[in-house]
Amino acid sequence: MSSYKQFAYSRILQIAPRYLPFADVATEDVPLSRLLRLSLFQVTVGMALVLMVGTLNRVMIVELGVAASLVAVMISLPLVFAPFRALIGFKSDTFVSALGWRRVPFIWKGTMWQFGGFAIMPFALLVLSGYGEAVDAPRWMGLGSAGLAFLLVGAGLHTVQTVGLALATDLVREEDHPKVVGLMYVMLLLGMVGAAFVYGALLEDYTPGRLIQVIQGTAVITIAVNLIALWQQEPRDRVRAKAMRERTETPRFSDSWRQFMRLDGALRLLVVIGLGTFAFGMADVLLEPYGGQVLAMSVAETTRLTAVLAGGSLLGFALASHLLGRGGSAVRLARTGALIGMPGFGLIILAAQSGNLVVFVTGTCAVGFGAGLFGHGTLTATIRRAPRDQVGLALGAWGAVQATAAGIGVALGGVLRDIVLHLPIASTLSAATPYIAVFALEAVVLAMALIAAWSLRPLDLAPKPSSFVPRMSSAGHGNGPDSGITHPAPRTQEVS
Amino acid sequence: MSNNDPDKVWPTGLTLREAEEVHSYLIDGTRVFGVIALLAHILVATTTPWLG
Repeated sequence: MSSYKQFAYSRILQIAPRYLPFADVATEDVPLSRLLRLSLFQVTVGMALVLMVGTLNRVMIVELGVAASLVAVMISLPLVFAPFRALIGFKSDTFVSALGWRRVPFIWKGTMWQFGGFAIMPFALLVLSGYGEAVDAPRWMGLGSAGLAFLLVGAGLHTVQTVGLALATDLVREEDHPKVVGLMYVMLLLGMVGAAFVYGALLEDYTPGRLIQVIQGTAVITIAVNLIALWQQEPRDRVRAKAMRERTETPRFSDSWRQFMRLDGALRLLVVIGLGTFAFGMADVLLEPYGGQVLAMSVAETTRLTAVLAGGSLLGFALASHLLGRGGSAVRLARTGALIGMPGFGLIILAAQSGNLVVFVTGTCAVGFGAGLFGHGTLTATIRRAPRDQVGLALGAWGAVQATAAGIGVALGGVLRDIVLHLPIASTLSAATPYIAVFALEAVVLAMALIAAWSLRPLDLAPKPSSFVPRMSSAGHGNGPDSGITHPAPRTQEVS
Repeated sequence: MSNNDPDKVWPTGLTLREAEEVHSYLIDGTRVFGVIALLAHILVATTTPWLG
């Protein structure tokens, strides 16, 4: 009887990894199941992003009747914390813990903030909109509590994502980093797409009670899922704890930052990330209204358009994981992404002239694919360039630039379209002109990113400068004796 | 005597310092929970007062 069971288990174990794109990330040390579990934190981050930027954006304006400009301010509040990601990453790199932990305390605190923000958010929004007896409540109360709720969620999700990525980087071997990056991106995308469907279905018949249920349900799911993701992930490490305790001087952020910037191409890579993310981010919000207003697509069709964009990105992540896992150059892949994105925008612009939907959908798919390659390539390049003891800082810098650029891109995309729309000569222009102006600008910004990335090429091959090793080096670069993970000593050089 | 040794591993598998750190996370969490709950109650009382 038990032999049948064993046979079945072994068959399943053999079959399962073959049909998962990122299965080969599982090593003897960190099995795939554990990485999948860790990547759940990206699902909650995706949920939070969709809830705030998508669902609440609509609910606050339409159902709660809050002024659109106030809603825009509230929704962009989490962006305030994006630049602090570098600091958070640095803090986690240099954290002093008796358990030898560096990442878990931060992910836990970030989860608590995210939970707290969601827990008070529905009531804060109801007070803000003057629901029930709250009509008589002073104005500052609604504004203050809603602002606090959004700030808490923002601080929480930036912390969780930065430090969570650093933990994932700590856990796996160098050559598996591209696959972890792919896995993290896919989980974020799945979280966002899944959450968008679920929130849409749940809030179809809006009532204040339903709003409270949905947001507080998100809070509970966030803390539960993050706990599952975090459980038994970071090894306890007495050797590292001892080294942390005996470190006499506290490393300063400015020193560490300067050290990081001195790495070849660090600043240039951040510029490339900023420009590219900005360009791809601007497209996100404009594709649907463009399809609807200019190409006369129905609501169902434009929703499918978003699926095409996401599908293109998924394809990009999968291909990038595959190529980089075999030792490809991350920077070159990011360049390819930008190169594919530019003609993609060109096709989207062309579609307005011909009215051809096939051209438009092809362009959208190309933009998604390019964004996938670009995002994966730049994040992998960041991780590969970071010395082991500055992983948190490097990922923090990446996240700070990436989140800020994407946020500004999304905000500016709509603003620029409206500016062109309200030009004095606007009445002589066609409906497509404002969109074409923004899409053309995106292609130009992508070209700038490409130019900036081009000179990264020699740096890609340059010998790696000896890594900055602060007092913590005696802790064995983040691998304790009981972590059971061995890292090959020399960091493999990125080959272009 | 050994009670004062900070590196002694107790039956819980933790040293004194480690246990204190784990405890500190619990305390932190409880405080955040408490403040959040208080805030949420004040906000609910503003929209639908239940104290008359």
